[in-house]
Amino acid sequence: MTSYRLSKGGQIDRATTLPFTFDGRSFNGHGGDTLASALLANGQQLVARSFKYHRPRGILTAGAAEPNALMTIGTGGRTEPNTRATVQELYAGLEARSQNRWPSLSFDIGAVNGLLSPFLNAGFYYKTFMWPASFWEKVYEPLIRRAAGLGKATNEADPDAYEKAWAHCDLLVVGSGPTGLAAALTAARSGLRVVLADEQPAFGGSLLSDTAALDGLAATEYVARCVDELRSLPNVKLLSRTTVIGWYDSNVFGAVERVQKHVAVPASGQPVERLWRIAAKHAILATGAEERPLVFGGNDTPGIMLAGAMRTYLNRFGVAPGRKVAIFTINDTGYALARDLEKAGVDLVAIIDSRLQSSVPYAGKARVLRNAVVTDAKGGQALSSIQIKQDGRFQSIDVDALAVAGGFSPIIHLACHRGGKPVWSDEQSAFLAPDNLNGLSLAGAAARTGNLADCVAHGSTEALAIATQLGKSGEAISVQVEGDLSGRVEKPLWSIPDNSGKAFVDYQNDVTRRDLDLAAQEGFGHVEMAKRYTTNGMATDQGKLSNINAIALLAEARGVSPAQVGTTTFRPFYTPVSFGALTGAAKGKHFQPIRKSPLHNWAVRNSATFIETGLWYRSAWFARQGETTWRDSVDREVLNTRINAGLCDVSMLGKIEISGKDAATFLDRVYSNGFAKLPVGKARYGLMLRDDGMIYDDGTTSRLAEDRYFMTTTTAYAAGVMSHLEFCSQALWPDLDVRLASVTDQWAQMSLAGPKARTILQDIVDEDIADESFGFLAAREVSLFGGKLRGLMFRISFSGELAYELAVPAGYGESVADALMQVGEPHGICAYGVEALNVLRMEKGFITHAEIDGTVTPADLGLAKMVSATKPDFIGKQMLKREGLSDPLRPRLAGLLPLDPTQGFRAGSHILSKDAAATLENDQGYVTSNAWSPHLQSTIGLALIIRGPERHGEEVVVWNGLYNEFTPGRICDPVFLHAADEKPHA
Amino acid sequence: MPDFQLHHRAALAGVTAINGARIRLTPLPEGTVLQVLGAPAEVGKSGEIADKYGFSVRKNGPADRFWVADQPVSSGFLPEISAQWPELSVVDQSHGRVRIAIEGDAVEDVLAKGTGIDLANFEVGSATTTLIGHIATHITRIAPDRFELMVLRGFAESLWHDLETMIREFI
Repeated sequence: MTSYRLSKGGQIDRATTLPFTFDGRSFNGHGGDTLASALLANGQQLVARSFKYHRPRGILTAGAAEPNALMTIGTGGRTEPNTRATVQELYAGLEARSQNRWPSLSFDIGAVNGLLSPFLNAGFYYKTFMWPASFWEKVYEPLIRRAAGLGKATNEADPDAYEKAWAHCDLLVVGSGPTGLAAALTAARSGLRVVLADEQPAFGGSLLSDTAALDGLAATEYVARCVDELRSLPNVKLLSRTTVIGWYDSNVFGAVERVQKHVAVPASGQPVERLWRIAAKHAILATGAEERPLVFGGNDTPGIMLAGAMRTYLNRFGVAPGRKVAIFTINDTGYALARDLEKAGVDLVAIIDSRLQSSVPYAGKARVLRNAVVTDAKGGQALSSIQIKQDGRFQSIDVDALAVAGGFSPIIHLACHRGGKPVWSDEQSAFLAPDNLNGLSLAGAAARTGNLADCVAHGSTEALAIATQLGKSGEAISVQVEGDLSGRVEKPLWSIPDNSGKAFVDYQNDVTRRDLDLAAQEGFGHVEMAKRYTTNGMATDQGKLSNINAIALLAEARGVSPAQVGTTTFRPFYTPVSFGALTGAAKGKHFQPIRKSPLHNWAVRNSATFIETGLWYRSAWFARQGETTWRDSVDREVLNTRINAGLCDVSMLGKIEISGKDAATFLDRVYSNGFAKLPVGKARYGLMLRDDGMIYDDGTTSRLAEDRYFMTTTTAYAAGVMSHLEFCSQALWPDLDVRLASVTDQWAQMSLAGPKARTILQDIVDEDIADESFGFLAAREVSLFGGKLRGLMFRISFSGELAYELAVPAGYGESVADALMQVGEPHGICAYGVEALNVLRMEKGFITHAEIDGTVTPADLGLAKMVSATKPDFIGKQMLKREGLSDPLRPRLAGLLPLDPTQGFRAGSHILSKDAAATLENDQGYVTSNAWSPHLQSTIGLALIIRGPERHGEEVVVWNGLYNEFTPGRICDPVFLHAADEKPHA
Repeated sequence: MPDFQLHHRAALAGVTAINGARIRLTPLPEGTVLQVLGAPAEVGKSGEIADKYGFSVRKNGPADRFWVADQPVSSGFLPEISAQWPELSVVDQSHGRVRIAIEGDAVEDVLAKGTGIDLANFEVGSATTTLIGHIATHITRIAPDRFELMVLRGFAESLWHDLETMIREFI
């Protein structure tokens, strides 16, 4: 219990007390606290156990890069593991739990892993636990996985709402520190539409922790002045609690706004998180820089934190880091912390400066040890002392808190999300973003090291340059700054020798300096190899703190510059993103759109069971009382349709109106068979090929007038065919006068099939529909119900029965279907679904996309006659001439029956010659469709079989390797019911 | 022939208009929607014809317009139009497209949850087809704070339910 709340200071709301728990213990914090600051204020420095060695860990940072303080917060469906305490806002009732420890955080049995560290070093899983081989999967891996790990997700459903939204702007400014505020203000004053996004609840970035004065104002007052002005401008959108997570094509940025992650119970109606897609003409990254840890023994001991973080806890949250504090620094920023600590009354005992001299004067009480380094930290669960090496001599100092200031790395991740590689700068001793990024610039500490005034000026001039590019003008902002000690680049201190304890590089994945040395020694010194060998940078923090030190240590080990080692690839997301945010509102009934037929309610009233076909809900079958299985219903529907009549909803077939004076020519070119000579009032079955000669889609097209056609497509390919036709019209043949309109949803379409179909229809159709006046393939507009309604009627059949398809305006579909069922009742009409439709078509050998699977030509399906030999050209004609497409060994359509009718087989099964072994070489083809035929009292199948049409009668074996099924069968004619062939023409 | 009473069922028959403080959502009457196609120049001039018959025009591409009205037209109307202006192809979509009005001062914020269109630069009279969430929707700005959404009939209920979710924070 060494860290504590100061009696005054900070920007917290001391009047508001927020009770919370950590591992069941009750604490209090204040409004404005993060979970981390509140824990520190309560003296809770041990907050976690490490991933591999279960080492005690404290709070290292005050922001998004935190590798240690990961904890589970919330309960039930709102449980959220791996939450960074450093960014989690405190709220009353927050419940936090530490992770990866047993039985408790302070006494964790898993810490024994530390003793096993010789066996758990870099690449251990490649070279230990190898024998016996079977033990890896069954013993070693489960044990290691159980011993390691992060928090566990809940199995309960998330009760909260998420959503997505778009924003558009001229300029997106990422980060609202001194640079970002200046950029946003300059751009906004010039009239640009500006979005300013910052991950913190309050704008101001580093200024919220700074004690410098800007234009004579305290930093926080300066921030308030800027934000007030931005809020007053209508062309500015301010997004706080919003982390920009990725940069994507077209200059679209992803960002997650934590709308209600700072409350115990989210208000209904509001999402807890909102995923923004921000389309920006330009963006400025004002993301600042990440302070680097220093790599010395025991550098993970609770009580050690980054100097900038310590300054934040001190100045922003009013938290003292300890009773006896030391600072280990390589630059002047350590002295800014020293000044602030002493001003707050904290006992600063020493400043360990790796340099011979600092560039700022220090007049405080602490000992200043120059040309000195901390080699080790001691204390286990709480820092107790540090070992210092100065001028070749060692000394120990008792401290309970240590700040480390190891220099800065510009935060450039977003700038590299579209493939750009960071570039090493010797001058800056850091990796910088690549030059010439289209639509993105970097300013302030994200671009180069500079002092506060530099940051403000840089942000402003970058914004002004963009404003000028976009035709606006304005003035640059500058500020007078007092008390700022930042701004000098110092020589980095990558390695510190003479440590006795573990010196951590990647805190989250427990990767030590020794691991990296080992990787280099064993030939894994390439940055990508080292990453995988050691797991450095692979944790949820993606190496925000560790990568730079790892690269530098690899460079030292290899005797090269960090430039030659390079970096691994930066990819979105910058910080972890919840699945909820990515899903947005698309869950539950909103998971995907539902597309309903105009006959949906009719089907519901007739007890339909629905099946999803794409987004459509199609009626699969209509159960009646007493039917216990779906097959009972389907068999009845099939038998009844062939004896009496059946009504099937086919509204979801694609329907396209094609008009214009060149419509006939157009159709002649998109279909392989002829349409130009199709008489008005007639329908024709057509095949559309792809360029490669394979069948694309099939359907009927009817000529309703000289220059007006009505095309139907398959349900699955409706949108695809429409796009295909649009492409043909606009790109291939723009000279043709053709107009296309999708009318799928305009019509409710019903198939009425069966011997009594005409009798039933005649009751509602005003004109005579006898065979002589409405023969096979007739297609025309008809008057219905004594002139009350007009519809389109087609005499086409997909069942082999006398059949019609009647299309009526969709709003009347339900009523017309009711009428047909009513007038059909005396004739035994039934509703039938897509399952029965499938049986009816298979019994007659009709094809669907189960057969048109993208690999078949018309000839493969016995439709060679539908390829016109006389048309000058059509899509697919040239490629259809390829030799391989007329190979006699191509699989072709055939029927298939089991020898034993009580046996079945599955679609997708393969065909083997009788007595042939089940091998790929012996494969003779495959089953495309199967169904139970109530007429044949047998399973029937359609199949694509090598020389299929020539092998009718041959016994084969239908083999399903997945289910290990071998079914003796016989190849046959694909038309199973021959006797009724003439019915459609009757 | 039995004397049947035919009933027209609106696609959004099962929903109720929502009147919130900052947003209102209303199913529009399933009157008339005609899709007018032709050469861009001819289609561009068709607005005058639409005006003559009392339709409002919605752009749908250079060679494509929707004429909309709250009232249905007679069955003879299409043949009449087609005969008078043979250079245009007029396709009845009155049953295939469903219109929804959304209005209120929060309307841009609501629609930004579904569409990637920059609504601040989408002036009154502008129209385009976009996605509202996962559903393709034709959107027209009728007034600064009012839009008309036109969607395929089969998706109308689904879009309505999505909109209900999107407006929740403003009612």
